[in-house]
Amino acid sequence: MNNKFLKTRNVTKTFGKLKALDDVNFNLYQGKIHGLLGENGAGKSSLMNILSGIYQPDKGSIYLDGEKQKILNPDFASKLGIGMVHQEFRLIESFSIKDNLTLSKSNIYKNDFLKSFKKYSEIFALNVNENEIISNLSVGEKQKIEIMKLIFNDSRIMLLDEPTAVLTPQETSQLKNSLVTLAQEDMKTIVLITHKLKEIKEFTEIVSVLKNGKMVAKDLPTKDVTDNQLIELMMGTVKTSTVNKDNEVGKIKLNVENINYTDSVNKIKKLEDINFQIKAGEILGLAGVSGNGQVELANIISGIERVYEGKIIIDNTDVSSKGVRSRKKLNLSYIPENRLGVGLAPGVSVIDNSIVKDYFHTKLGPHLSRNKTSNYLESLVKQFSIKAPNPKAEISTLSGGNMQKLLMGRELVGDPDVIIASQPTRGLDVNAVDAIHNLLIDQRNKGSAIFLISEDLDELFKLSNRLLVIFEGKIVKSFNTVDADINDVGLAMAGVNE
Amino acid sequence: MNKYILTKRQVVNELSTFYSFLLGFLIALMIGSIILLIQDKNPFDTFSLMFKLSIGSVNSLSSSLNKATPLILAGLGIAIINTVKLWNIGAEGQIFMGAIAVNLIYINFQLTNSTSFIFVLLVSAFIGGAFCILIPAITKVLFGVNEIITTLLTNYIVIGLTIYLVNGPWKDPGSLNFPAAAYVGKEVYLPTIFGKLSYGFLICILFTVFAHYLKNSSVFGYEMRIAGGSEMTAIYAGINAKQKAFFAMLIGGGFAGLAGGVELLSQTHRVSTGISQGFGYTAIIVAAITGMRPIGIFLVGSLFGALSIGGSVIQTIGVSTYIADIIQASTLFGALVIQFFFNYKLKRADDG
Repeated sequence: MNNKFLKTRNVTKTFGKLKALDDVNFNLYQGKIHGLLGENGAGKSSLMNILSGIYQPDKGSIYLDGEKQKILNPDFASKLGIGMVHQEFRLIESFSIKDNLTLSKSNIYKNDFLKSFKKYSEIFALNVNENEIISNLSVGEKQKIEIMKLIFNDSRIMLLDEPTAVLTPQETSQLKNSLVTLAQEDMKTIVLITHKLKEIKEFTEIVSVLKNGKMVAKDLPTKDVTDNQLIELMMGTVKTSTVNKDNEVGKIKLNVENINYTDSVNKIKKLEDINFQIKAGEILGLAGVSGNGQVELANIISGIERVYEGKIIIDNTDVSSKGVRSRKKLNLSYIPENRLGVGLAPGVSVIDNSIVKDYFHTKLGPHLSRNKTSNYLESLVKQFSIKAPNPKAEISTLSGGNMQKLLMGRELVGDPDVIIASQPTRGLDVNAVDAIHNLLIDQRNKGSAIFLISEDLDELFKLSNRLLVIFEGKIVKSFNTVDADINDVGLAMAGVNE
Repeated sequence: MNKYILTKRQVVNELSTFYSFLLGFLIALMIGSIILLIQDKNPFDTFSLMFKLSIGSVNSLSSSLNKATPLILAGLGIAIINTVKLWNIGAEGQIFMGAIAVNLIYINFQLTNSTSFIFVLLVSAFIGGAFCILIPAITKVLFGVNEIITTLLTNYIVIGLTIYLVNGPWKDPGSLNFPAAAYVGKEVYLPTIFGKLSYGFLICILFTVFAHYLKNSSVFGYEMRIAGGSEMTAIYAGINAKQKAFFAMLIGGGFAGLAGGVELLSQTHRVSTGISQGFGYTAIIVAAITGMRPIGIFLVGSLFGALSIGGSVIQTIGVSTYIADIIQASTLFGALVIQFFFNYKLKRADDG
């Protein structure tokens, strides 16, 4: 590994109080496939955005071929030969493949387009005409065009952000073959950002690991490291603080039977044979990396998604075919992962948002009493110590923590029998996290059955009695939190079956 | 990196819409003054004459309020539809449709009791307006077709329909070739309260109160607000967002239709292309200036009614009527700009 091609030295980037990257040294070697591993929020995307010129580092420098470079913007990066494929594709949907590939001024195959398009179509096993309109392509095909776009723009360094998240297993192994060919024949330098260990092992030669903005391991030869070592690097030593879990557990409150769900838009199977029960006074954790079916599952249990197979039973009542309202009447609360946009309506006032759950219980005919609603908000504000000075202010003027407290308070008031809490503390500061945890524990002690969906293992270990791990829409493992090993959970989340 | 960025203010003064209206109106008066000065007219004299002739006497005041009535009703309809964050550009067409509905019922049915007949005719006007927005509402809800385009386009269709009717089937032989339908009978004229002030203005007050209640204190209004804020939140809360949007559009269209009915029964007394003098478009200005608040629409609508009357009488001193239009449009322009600075502030990009 002598051919050090690109390196970053002491790159630091902060967003407000958050240090996204802390003194990061990162190396890339020509013609190799690199893995960049890390949990959500570890800084992977920040680092890639710095290399591709979208962000500027606060400190530190980037060297390319030994020369110090200041990558001012994406255009500049592409001149240096650095290109990135984002998770959300940046193709012009209404243009043809050819137009998309030849759009950029740094294009190198303008004159012999057809020849090179044929060559790379073969490498990518892509079987479409170059005049096809992008919007007619499948997700997998679009991704191939995205990667091809980098080649056509003469990128020597190709940064791929979670490229397999949208692919079927067959497409994934196809992608692997294409990338290997590109690395070997075209000497492309490829970076694969992922949190799936299996792909790190299969795709890459060299792996680096980011944790909390720090590069905790770099330039590890992939074949020499074990899954366990990688998981330990990625998760670190988790301070397994825990709460008292000896409270009384009652009868089954939520019963989820054989849920199968296929996305109606792209026909991808999102959930497969999901089964579990939660008892009163119990917190069941669902561990998993985002995008493995958690949102779909929560939507099905809460009644938002109505087209699925299987049964949802709340408190012995089969609600499988019922909507949101009838589940709310059985005292089910849902704290959605998407705080602003689903749980709270942007552009609408604090007071209006505070009564979303209960307005139709307290109504008097078609009249919504102003006194009742403001008393309701006032009691929420007091009970959950929310800082919301102006009830008429737009909801997004509240801080993230207060928004979440308002949302939690609204959903927890009236002691729900079943609570679905999806990523309840994501993006919150330490104090807010503690407050939210205490709310959930209180509610558990009062006899709620709580389904806690999270990717934060600290949180899951701290709060839950039992843990399920979801991977690609399947429950791959279940643990008793008391005697579970955090690394085993991490391995299951990353899709490793021993 | 001395770039400036706009950031949303955390707290917006509750009266900001009112202040921006006032400032906008002042800006508009200044623009009007400049134009008058260019024409060698004394702005002060002109404006005071406008003031005197629009609200200086019982008669002129009632003319102004009569003029304001369709503006306010159509503006209220726009505000109701905007509760679900949709725009109704079709109030003009709905006004015509309301008037057409009135005439259709009038020539096909007869009721001996004139009060109940007037009531039936006003209800038909409402239904006519709602009918006019039906296709935009259906296409919006089912296929997501942009309602701004569809409501705008229905204006042309309805105005075309009006031209056809008044030149064809409904053409009044007694109108000396002027394209208009026959006058309705005196028994269905809306009576006056005092002076020239029509009962239409009373209807307008009632509907302002109704719209205010609907938007701010009813469960339906609440559901419309949530549906307008985020369709996902509505689904999450068990609110049928599409249904709310559909009914909001029908009700809003009905308000504008009613404006047409009132205008016919109290002012023009017959269907012609002159039923509306752009009320449906001016109503958009009125609604936008007030931030879609019914009470504000009532007040600004009244002012704009007075401006129109004032504008039409100053022709006598050789000033164009259009000065009133310029003031109305510049008020919106000024108010929107001022409102922008109430909502946002400029700050340096690099100070955090």
